[in-house]
Amino acid sequence: MPELSYREAVRDALATAMREDDSVFIMGEDIAEMGGSMGVTSGMLEEFGRERVRNTPISEMALAGAAIGAAMQGMRPIAEIMYEDFMTLAAEQVVNQAAKLRYMSGGQLTVPVVFRTQGGAGWSPGAQHAQQLEAWFVHIPGLKVVFASTPEDVRGLLWSAIYDDNPVVFFEHRTLYGIKGNVPEKIEPIPIGKARVHREGEDVTVIATGRLVHESLQAAEEAEKQGVSVEVVDPRTLQPLDEETLVASVKKTNRAVVAHEAVTRMGFGAEVASVLQYQAFDWLDAPVERVGAKFSPLPFAPVMEQFVVPHADDVLQAILRTVNR
Amino acid sequence: MATEVKLPRLGQGMESGTIVRWLKSEGEQVAKGEPLYELDTDKVTQEVEAEASGVLLKIAIPEGEVEVGRTIAFIGKEGESVAAVEAPAAPAPKAEPASNKLLQPEPERVSEPTTNGRIKASPLARRLARERGIDLSSIQGTGPDGRIVAQDVETPAPAASRAPAPVAAIGEVTSQPLTNIRKTIARRLTEAWTVPVFTLTVSADMTRANQLVASRRELDPDVRVTVTDLLTRVCAQALARHPEMNVQYTEDALLSFPNANVGIAVAAPQGLVVPVVHNAEQLTLVQIAQKRGDLVARARDSKLRAEDIDGGTFTISNLGMFDVDQFVAVLNPPQASILAVGVTREQVVPRDGELVVVPLMTMTLTCDHRAVDGATGAEFLKTVKAFLEFPGLAL
Repeated sequence: MPELSYREAVRDALATAMREDDSVFIMGEDIAEMGGSMGVTSGMLEEFGRERVRNTPISEMALAGAAIGAAMQGMRPIAEIMYEDFMTLAAEQVVNQAAKLRYMSGGQLTVPVVFRTQGGAGWSPGAQHAQQLEAWFVHIPGLKVVFASTPEDVRGLLWSAIYDDNPVVFFEHRTLYGIKGNVPEKIEPIPIGKARVHREGEDVTVIATGRLVHESLQAAEEAEKQGVSVEVVDPRTLQPLDEETLVASVKKTNRAVVAHEAVTRMGFGAEVASVLQYQAFDWLDAPVERVGAKFSPLPFAPVMEQFVVPHADDVLQAILRTVNR
Repeated sequence: MATEVKLPRLGQGMESGTIVRWLKSEGEQVAKGEPLYELDTDKVTQEVEAEASGVLLKIAIPEGEVEVGRTIAFIGKEGESVAAVEAPAAPAPKAEPASNKLLQPEPERVSEPTTNGRIKASPLARRLARERGIDLSSIQGTGPDGRIVAQDVETPAPAASRAPAPVAAIGEVTSQPLTNIRKTIARRLTEAWTVPVFTLTVSADMTRANQLVASRRELDPDVRVTVTDLLTRVCAQALARHPEMNVQYTEDALLSFPNANVGIAVAAPQGLVVPVVHNAEQLTLVQIAQKRGDLVARARDSKLRAEDIDGGTFTISNLGMFDVDQFVAVLNPPQASILAVGVTREQVVPRDGELVVVPLMTMTLTCDHRAVDGATGAEFLKTVKAFLEFPGLAL
């Protein structure tokens, strides 16, 4: 099994699809010569040329709209939105056009577009370059939403996203680009809508996304030392949500913690908590705990940024609260 | 707000218990899980652990019989005042000293969350209680703010070890009040005496059974399999094949049980107890040995829980280790039969025209004749004997 970084895994999915399929191309701000602000598309211009590695003007609305138009015409474009924060500028195209066209055309149109974007704190980018806005998009019928946390998952899920006939908003986490992990020799598509149980446990289920998957695994290690057996599940796809796996896990452990980097209020975890309380009500032995960022714009000061976003210890404390310790 | 310590229900059917003594005094620090008081029920005497940490503010009921769910003490912060507790109707506990400052009534504190009809319990705990027919109001919650969680429903209160009773001096007649367990033994065995019984005696050649036990021990030195374990397995299998033996007589119906729950009479320091190996027909010899080892050890330490002694459908009483040749056991009501097992002794028996020496074990089955007929008992005993002589048949 080869070892790839999360960044290389994204690039491998993009490049492999482009080698095998002429309908696949990428577009975005500074993705050509510069290789994207996160270096994900580095080297791709040399291999695929300007036609298929397209720099765009600094207008997220324009680039999202162009990608949607290409998708409607039978291409499989992948549009890179440099920062998740800028998805707000592309929102009209993503929310009102991409998400609606298949429905409004009675199925005559499909929009097989992927909006790749990234966000996440931990490097002091301030309030406008590290938000976690996945909850904005899981709220929209017509969109699929993916948030992968490992090199293997990001590659297999991006592949499935490219070949899904619906628009997919594909979230990557800024601080995960450097992590390494083993991936299968050949790309194995990971079905959209399937959660991954990272670690089995008996006492508490932690349902975590993105960076918090890793923080939760660390918290689980610590909890184990204190005699609490923790199951860690990453939904990987936020929309559609693999409710079956999440509910089955909670029915086994009877306690749940949901953890993400986005602010807790109205976050993705609130929806998961609601699913759990409704489908596993008679199996819950404690209130569902939520872990997320404090309700504040992200501070620039590193110490304050660390104070606002959640870490392994926040997950551990939530775990211990569910078992009343 | 101080935590109320309530008398727990330690098993289904328990309505009250007798507080023997408190292991902590008022004003003393207690930690959650520390033994707090000794409780005598009709089945076991055990130490009950504190369900909260803090200062034992007040012992509301120093000793005597109390119904389940009554507040018997308060644990809280140093100097915190607690609500007055109404004394139980009967039997009355020792009167409290009137000067006790902690007894100042505080009416608004009397309406604790549990008294307004709403009991704090997790959804899982509610479901478990509903399924098992347990009244939540009888359970003391150990979760935050006294919430009843699943564990509180599943294991009401763990028992702890008990100090041995002092030995009386030679030449003195001592009088000791009857413990609940002794009263229970007396009441139930007197009740058993009113049952019309018949007894059947049979001897089994234990050659193969002994070989099996010995080779099993060699295979698995960590699990000490005994003849009693083999008997448990054999009787459970025989009960499975003779379901008409696995019954209980009641005033208006004959109850038949789907599983062989085999009780094993154990001479514990505080008296006879009969822990039960549940669903013994589904257990292997080694599983039975492990279960029996655990039950007997806990019986000797007074650490049996109510569920360990509930639900037996048959009992084995083995006095072979005391060199008793044979005896007749008194029924263990409401069970319909009990097997009294004597020592295995080498005896000369004629076989095929020759005298041979074989290890023989004599067993006597006592049956409730209201539930079981003589021939039924005899057929069952024949199967038990065959299984002991040819243990392969019981596999």
